[in-house]
Amino acid sequence: MEFTEPVVLVLTSLADGPKHGYALAKDIESFAGAKLGPGTLYGALSRLEDRGWIEALPADDRRRPYRITASGAQCLARHLETAQRVATTGLSRLELRPTP
Amino acid sequence: MTGRMNAPLGRQTRAARSADGNPPNALRSVGSVPPPAPSRPRPWPAVLLVAYPPDWRARYGDELESLVSDLRGGGRKSLPMAFDLFFGAVSAWVTTGRGALMTERSKDTLIGVLWNWVAFAAIAAWFGHDLGIYPTAISAQQVAVLHPAVPDAYNVLQAAGSIGVVATAVAALAFGFDAVRYAARTGQRRLFVLMGMPVLVAAVWLGGLQLLPAGRSAGSLWLAVGWLLLGVAGIAVATQAVVTVVRSAEFGARTWRIGGVAAAAVTAAMVVATGATIVWGIVERLNEAHPGDASGWLIVSAVMAVTTARAIIALLRVRNAPAPAEDPAIA
Repeated sequence: MEFTEPVVLVLTSLADGPKHGYALAKDIESFAGAKLGPGTLYGALSRLEDRGWIEALPADDRRRPYRITASGAQCLARHLETAQRVATTGLSRLELRPTP
Repeated sequence: MTGRMNAPLGRQTRAARSADGNPPNALRSVGSVPPPAPSRPRPWPAVLLVAYPPDWRARYGDELESLVSDLRGGGRKSLPMAFDLFFGAVSAWVTTGRGALMTERSKDTLIGVLWNWVAFAAIAAWFGHDLGIYPTAISAQQVAVLHPAVPDAYNVLQAAGSIGVVATAVAALAFGFDAVRYAARTGQRRLFVLMGMPVLVAAVWLGGLQLLPAGRSAGSLWLAVGWLLLGVAGIAVATQAVVTVVRSAEFGARTWRIGGVAAAAVTAAMVVATGATIVWGIVERLNEAHPGDASGWLIVSAVMAVTTARAIIALLRVRNAPAPAEDPAIA
């Protein structure tokens, strides 16, 4: 599965506990500054659920919380480690670059 | 890897324990619980939920509508949400197994829509050309004053036609790309020839059109009619070439889904264009003191209606087809 930005944001948000759609949107806005639209958010949720990386919990009224599964957490961890390596390399190379 | 996994899995366990229907404590600081508003009206972007695939909507529709309502109540603007929902619906049709309209087993449906769309477009183009009203701007202004229904209908037809052409072009690119890869992989050169047929036919016919003698002599008229009939035959040959490619090559699940969306868009455009043509003809006749011969409009409207109905039936057939197996490559 492709790690699109919404997928990473949703998995990261769910990494510290189950959330429903609105809680996800607000959490992602707070830690990433990204305002995910409802269609984008539920597109990511449906793909992640199809893949088995998140699972739905019993609905509270019409708001259904989702939680990350073990395989979802594993894939997120792997992806973030790669991203961290890339970020570290990029930042260190930028520091080495002579100032124009 | 096990060590790396401890932290997220530990958090996950905590998360599962806090799954009581309310967000965990950490979320309260970011305002994750929407303000209670039992009488809040349904925001208008929520109507776009009908654009989602039915089974997708059955699974997520209520939650998504609730989220739209909560976000609107939290101050999110309607228009960006509407665009986001629209593109989310398109994405649901194209990229998820839930929205699959077309599969390998649905070639006949796509081919049925294609044939009807080609016939529809050919008759509509001929009628538009035969009217002799457009596309000059001056005549458009004159007609707009004398017969307001004509430019209205023309604009609707142009918009519907553009949607149909764009959808066809997108599908042609997707299928063409897969067909080229398949032909290269299997060494089937005849597929390349077949794929070039529509371009060749169009080039020959349009090139020949430039060479036709002008004038209204009997010979010129017969030549023009003959060339027109040759054009119809060329359209049929080119379409059959495309159909042969679709039947012979192998296409990915994503390509079939793009074909499904394109077929739905084309059929919707046909419905709108047929409606516009019928309404335009009726209004035109009601406004004219001496409306004259209506046979052309009646024939064109009938062909448009029949081809549109056949395209709709083809689409409905595929919707009732057995669900496709999930493609693990598409996530």
